Amino acid sequence: MKKQLRLGLNAGFTFGIVTIFLFLIGFTGTSGDLLADLFSNKNAAPFFGLTPQMINMIIFLALVGLWAGSYGSRKSKGQTDDPWAPALIGGLTAGLVHGVLVGLLALLVGTLNLNNVPINMYLAAVLPAAIKMFLLGGSPVQGAIFHLILFTLTGFLGGLLSRGVARGSWRVRAEANWKNNWDGFNQKPFIKQVRGNPATRYVVYGVLLVLVFLVPLVAGQYWNYTIGTVCIYVLLGLGLNIVVGLAGLLDLGYVAFFAIGAYTMALLTAPAPQHLMWSFWIALPIGVVLAALTGLLLGAPVLRLRGDYLAIVTLGFGEIIRLLSTSDAMTSFSGGPKGVPSIAGPTIFGKPFNSGADFVYLIFLAAILIIFVTNRLQNSRVGRAWEAMREDETVSRAMGINTLTQKLLAFAIGAAFAGLGGALFASRNQFTGPEDFTFMVSVNVVAVVIVGGMGNIPGVIAGALVLKGLPEVLRELQDYRVMVFGALLVVMMLWRPAGIIPSSRRKMEVGTDAGVTETPKEGSEK
Amino acid sequence: MTIALETRSLTKLFGGLTAVDSVDLAIEEHAIFSVIGPNGAGKTTFYNCITGFYEPEAGDILFFGESLVGLSPDQVTYRGISRTYQNIRLFANMSAIENILVGEHSRIKGSWVEAILHTPRVVKEEKQAVEKARELLNFVGLVGLGDQLARNLPYGAQRRLEIARALGSQPRLLLLDEPTAGMNPHESTDMMHFIRRLRDELKITILLIEHDMRVVMGISERIAVLDYGAKIAEGTPAEIQGNPRVIEAYLGSGAASGLTNSASQPA
Repeated sequence: MKKQLRLGLNAGFTFGIVTIFLFLIGFTGTSGDLLADLFSNKNAAPFFGLTPQMINMIIFLALVGLWAGSYGSRKSKGQTDDPWAPALIGGLTAGLVHGVLVGLLALLVGTLNLNNVPINMYLAAVLPAAIKMFLLGGSPVQGAIFHLILFTLTGFLGGLLSRGVARGSWRVRAEANWKNNWDGFNQKPFIKQVRGNPATRYVVYGVLLVLVFLVPLVAGQYWNYTIGTVCIYVLLGLGLNIVVGLAGLLDLGYVAFFAIGAYTMALLTAPAPQHLMWSFWIALPIGVVLAALTGLLLGAPVLRLRGDYLAIVTLGFGEIIRLLSTSDAMTSFSGGPKGVPSIAGPTIFGKPFNSGADFVYLIFLAAILIIFVTNRLQNSRVGRAWEAMREDETVSRAMGINTLTQKLLAFAIGAAFAGLGGALFASRNQFTGPEDFTFMVSVNVVAVVIVGGMGNIPGVIAGALVLKGLPEVLRELQDYRVMVFGALLVVMMLWRPAGIIPSSRRKMEVGTDAGVTETPKEGSEK
Repeated sequence: MTIALETRSLTKLFGGLTAVDSVDLAIEEHAIFSVIGPNGAGKTTFYNCITGFYEPEAGDILFFGESLVGLSPDQVTYRGISRTYQNIRLFANMSAIENILVGEHSRIKGSWVEAILHTPRVVKEEKQAVEKARELLNFVGLVGLGDQLARNLPYGAQRRLEIARALGSQPRLLLLDEPTAGMNPHESTDMMHFIRRLRDELKITILLIEHDMRVVMGISERIAVLDYGAKIAEGTPAEIQGNPRVIEAYLGSGAASGLTNSASQPA
């Protein structure tokens, strides 16, 4: 009983602080607006003096309250007897503490607001309007009482609910059920036939290809732009995946190669500052090759370093390239801080294609090519050598691998992919400048690889979709993007440390079909 | 008999410390040859000199008449020397069969360009490599475990996998560094039989570092003893057991006279 009380108190305090934090950063108001946008008519008439935004905020807060209650009533260790009382006590305690904390907050900000203290000078999100909404238009005391009642009630309900679903055993049973059904489904002769048939794979690829072909036609300009960006990050992610995920060389200056690809495209095709105006198709391979060569040049002296030292040196190299591009000395050569405008787009038989959809096809094509190449490399002698180096560099040398050559190769191929991405990026935007190549780009690409799943192609694609695609979908939440990002990373590292789609190994002992085994979750560390 | 490996006054210095002190050794082809010595005697340093991880300060290493001094580890492996480690060092997050395939690295040729293009040659080569890896898996008795991650294998299996990986490079000389470390008497007996099989069936030469005297005396044809980097004795197991300098090195001065008789029975 005492234990349950403590669990409830803990949950109440935790959720109380979370709710206060959400209010202070203005998220309670935003949540109301967002839900009102999504699910109801924003401009509906007030209902008992409550605007739709307020009602939706209450719904959001009620959900938080339910969560607090169910969290506070979860089973304490070793508890067996009478499950109902502890659940209700836990839920009620959590709800009360939650309510008291938030109520005090409402009282405090309400009173300050009544006395015209400009809170938003210190906390930008706490505007008088936000406070009014939080108090549902009433006095501070009314607001405080409302929050107290709301959270106590929802906490209690949360406790009831968590009891109702038998505290997780329901979930365990459902999962087991689902797995049984799935295994049964896989055992059916027809399904086995379909799965074992190589033709199935081609059909799936075909369907995907058709989808890929259709999407840019349906999507509007904005979405085509977003899809293009995501695909360019897939290119960058796959390139860095070779360097970091396979060869195990932590490169924090990857943006440098991206910049070299982009600037090559820019300087060769734009009318100023170089007056060359070459064709896109000539500039593209030059950009790729130049990036790869830079990779070799940088790699030759630097790749003797291991681990952290390599990370620092590459980080420095990335910054050097960016600073060079902003410096006055380079203005006449590469446009300096102003960047390079009017970069050419590709043409086919004289027909330019600057429209969004055409370019998306081109980027798709590049992505498919890179996926193909990565896949072939990964499952080859070279790919195995890279992975062996990642696992244990010393031993891999004893196994006859020339580690310097293999590292250089990984670095150059990774750089070439980035160069391709950069060239396409510059050409699509028809403009490039130093601000496209900040350190944050390197960080983002590393995050794509790590969040998606190191050393794994579907993982990198998933990573790019989540990290570059989701923020576009969640435009409304853009003030909270970094926060969500941070929370996501913490959650990922706790629950899926090997990434969204952890790398899997080909089965090779029996037969040569492409069955795979999933590595256990802790697979990211050696 | 041909000499597989010969060292001529091999010397390795670490600052003021002489880790290997002008060691002369000659190992006949198809022999099982052991190097023993107290902890810190320089045995592992000796291995690292042979495999190219350390460059010796003086002396020469001849492998079937060809000098190995100055070669990098991968070049040494390419010439036919392979090794295992005292503390198991597998590629933990790769499957067992992939570990062996990495071992075969120096015997297959496919470049990155061929890998991308999947040229018929590289496809065939890859198929043969996998086939060979399956054979080795079978040879070391790990059939059915090939698709397991190396780190999920039990200890004994990891030891065997490490040997299979070393065999992947088709060595003519195999250096084993304490292959029975951490094994119980039954397991180490198995390992002894296995080492003999390696030599008899694959016709390779085996150089062994080992602390377990039962194993050393049981399978070695010749033994060299290192102490403070220098070779203090060499001979057949029986000769070594009776050698007072060896007993002194292991048990301290003065022990030799009292222990000569009892030490002749292997523990």
